Amino acid sequence: MSSLTAQQRQDLIDELPRLKRFCLSLTSDPSDADDLLQVTVERLLEKGMPADAHVAKWSHRVCRNLWIDEIRSRDVRNRYAQVEGAIEGAGTIAGNSDESVQLDRVSEAMERLPPEQRAALIQVAVEGCSYAEAAAILEVPIGTIMSRVARARKALAEDLEWKAEREA
Amino acid sequence: MKDDSKNVVDMDGMRVDDDHLLSMYIDGELDAERTISLAGRLKHEPALRARLSAMENSDRLVRKLYANHSDESGRDLAALIQADNIAIFKPMIRWRELAAGAIAASVMAVVALSLTTGQSTLNPMTMDRQLAQALEHSPSRASGWERLDNERDFRSVLTFPAADGRWCREFMLAHDESHWRGVACRDEGTWVNQVVGSEVFLERETQYRPAGAGDTEKVARFIDETAADVALGPQQEAALIASGW
Repeated sequence: MSSLTAQQRQDLIDELPRLKRFCLSLTSDPSDADDLLQVTVERLLEKGMPADAHVAKWSHRVCRNLWIDEIRSRDVRNRYAQVEGAIEGAGTIAGNSDESVQLDRVSEAMERLPPEQRAALIQVAVEGCSYAEAAAILEVPIGTIMSRVARARKALAEDLEWKAEREA
Repeated sequence: MKDDSKNVVDMDGMRVDDDHLLSMYIDGELDAERTISLAGRLKHEPALRARLSAMENSDRLVRKLYANHSDESGRDLAALIQADNIAIFKPMIRWRELAAGAIAASVMAVVALSLTTGQSTLNPMTMDRQLAQALEHSPSRASGWERLDNERDFRSVLTFPAADGRWCREFMLAHDESHWRGVACRDEGTWVNQVVGSEVFLERETQYRPAGAGDTEKVARFIDETAADVALGPQQEAALIASGW
């Protein structure tokens, strides 16, 4: 497999914002997301991709596999300790407005989602993917995407509602 | 964590509960019949409407949250990607908490850190106008440097023909305490980096010590595999430069 073509490079550059959000949806930690994005790009530059590859799907697949490798290599306790720390650091939106408070709440609620639900929700609700497109990127059946997105929305809505009631 | 990978929602079955219906409604994934049916229910069921509203609101917040996080999405990475035909010899960054020491020790990390932190805009692997001009016009030399710009020194090492008919040049770049050895080939009037390795700078005017044998070996191997003939002599090279390649 040769290095990336000029068109693949441009497509990859165009894909970076979306890939960054995907990294965040996988890691739920901004620092880990930055690292994952960097490693993903390096891997793509190092290994290239087939000439007929769909850059978005290929890059997301590489990214996801790298994250799986990373998770496997980490000590479980250490990982959860970092997640706890990340929850504190994730609410980076400054200010005291209602919107800011809501964003903090949704950030914490997203942290609590299972990673596969979070990734599915991001693909659909943030990236605007159809279920079929999200299924191709995450390599699961379309029905699984439907289920994961619905579960994620349900959990988020209940989490936010519960927090709002508790703080009222 | 419950594995729902096999919990496929069957559009024709009974397992599609209200939360699934609402979610699919939001995403425009319901068929016409179910959309009409759900719209009818929404008119008459305040609890269902409230549920839909809560989901839509959380979607809006999630979009806003992730838009904030992706604002600074990799301008430096874009520069790395744009660097034409660079061979990445080894991963340039490890997860920060696992390998900060290793990164500091790695010469390649000079590039990695600049890309990661954005503290330096220098990417010596990028083919820019100054480097291309030097490759186009500068004769090869065994010692000494040509000032490329405010940050870099350049030396062309040799010129050789590639098997595919292109002309290629081995060159060195120096910046601060690092320098890079690479090969660029002229492709339809444009110089394109083919391979770049790093070495540790010891004394710029005298000697160099390879930081990682692998890097230098890759450059040498590339030349060995690519060159169709021996390097040009000074007069041949001068004639080639004068002729505009």
